[in-house]
Amino acid sequence: MIPLRALVRKELASLFGSPLAYLTLTGVALVTALIFFDHLRVYNQILFLYSSTSLGGFDADAIPDFVNLRDQVFLPVMETLGLTLIGLVPLVTMRVFAEERARQTDELLQTTLLSPTEIVLGKFAATFVFVALLLLASFVYPAASILRAGLGLEHLAAVYLGLFVLGLALASIGLACSALTASQLVAAVSAYAVAFVFYDFSWATTFTGETLGPLLDALSLHPRFGRFSEGVVRVADLVYFAGYAVVAFAVARLSLEQARVR
Amino acid sequence: MVEQANAAPNGGIAVEARDLVRRFGARVAVDGVTLRVEPGEAFGLLGANGAGKTTFIRLVTGYLLPSAGSVRVDGLSPALAARAVHARIGYVAETSRLYPELRVRGFLRFVGGARGLAGEALDAALADALERFELLAVAGRLVGNLSKGYQQRVSLAQAFLHDPPLVIVDEPTAGLDPLQQAEVRDVLASLRGRRTLLLCTHDLAEARALTSRVAILSRGRLVACGPTAEVLGAGDPLALFRESAREAS
Repeated sequence: MIPLRALVRKELASLFGSPLAYLTLTGVALVTALIFFDHLRVYNQILFLYSSTSLGGFDADAIPDFVNLRDQVFLPVMETLGLTLIGLVPLVTMRVFAEERARQTDELLQTTLLSPTEIVLGKFAATFVFVALLLLASFVYPAASILRAGLGLEHLAAVYLGLFVLGLALASIGLACSALTASQLVAAVSAYAVAFVFYDFSWATTFTGETLGPLLDALSLHPRFGRFSEGVVRVADLVYFAGYAVVAFAVARLSLEQARVR
Repeated sequence: MVEQANAAPNGGIAVEARDLVRRFGARVAVDGVTLRVEPGEAFGLLGANGAGKTTFIRLVTGYLLPSAGSVRVDGLSPALAARAVHARIGYVAETSRLYPELRVRGFLRFVGGARGLAGEALDAALADALERFELLAVAGRLVGNLSKGYQQRVSLAQAFLHDPPLVIVDEPTAGLDPLQQAEVRDVLASLRGRRTLLLCTHDLAEARALTSRVAILSRGRLVACGPTAEVLGAGDPLALFRESAREAS
């Protein structure tokens, strides 16, 4: 455990030793704030239009059911936050393995007491901690909106669990891509490509017919993340997101082993 | 804590290679090398660039696996007992394998932790390394901002943190100025008899100053092995390299 703990600390120190970590955290906080206030502005306008009476008064009964904070602000903000993670997470993961390989510091790591499994585990753990920090940076506005809308803490927890597992899946994709190359650029571009393809297969289902369509749909990140946004937590969805981490872990572990026999 | 090695009474452990082969595709980097480094010995591995020295060392550390043959460190296979072997090795790679974004103290703390040191043992090892390698003045600086000489000191310091019985050093003075070279050689000379030193170099003067036995590799093959004075004693050193290259071809 001592070597593993040392590696996790080192990974976090390396991450925060570069401006990228701060830029990413600032990016998430800014994007969330902008999207939140933009949706809130539009929501207020809609609210005003529906509730205004001809005499300039206010009629709350005239507001239709679909004009609510949950549907007009909270869910769109969460949706965009998910997409924001696709844009930012690969920037964090691209360096994790690729940089070690390019600098040849992997040789130092692999001559310590860290086993290849521990090296991969340590790097995954540190990256997942950072994903949690990214979500923390985005926490205040959605939390305010959901509490104000009276949706309850359970819904907030479900949404953040969804965002967290989505972040883990995206980080896993990025880490697997980083483990297969010494180029950070290649790692980032390939992670973007894989993440965007897996985010939503609905575009492909129109061409694939009834057999392959549902299968592709089941593989998509977006519909499963969407259920969390609606406050629904299913074990099958959690297993699905965990599957990304397991596959990526195996890919990274294998790539370290391959490097010894190449 | 770090696993204990079966150190010989004079300090150090043995390294043994038998018919060791390493191929990269069609290229043979190490070709049937058999040699033994005795416990506590300062052993030099010589050869021109591309002779297979670094590959040999990587096979000893377990960073690479052999294509054929075997290598043993203290009787253990780096491929099968990597953790036990790594506990016995301090390794300084050819170019500094450091993290420029970390501070010197943080970097050494990380390596100490990765080598199984914690708590007071880690603090003591860290304090000793900073003092012994004269790094106290730069302990709070970023590794990437240090001069090459200081970076090499950091690289050496990390290899000694866990007090290993075998120290493997690959081209330790490459790129350093004469003063820095002398400092590094002094550190390595101080190891004599207390640890096994496997020094990989193409600097013949360095080999003469620091080792008691040497082996010469050429195109992956062992072309000479014996006491340093005997192997490097006579003739033109450059002619020796040229000769060995011809023999290998």
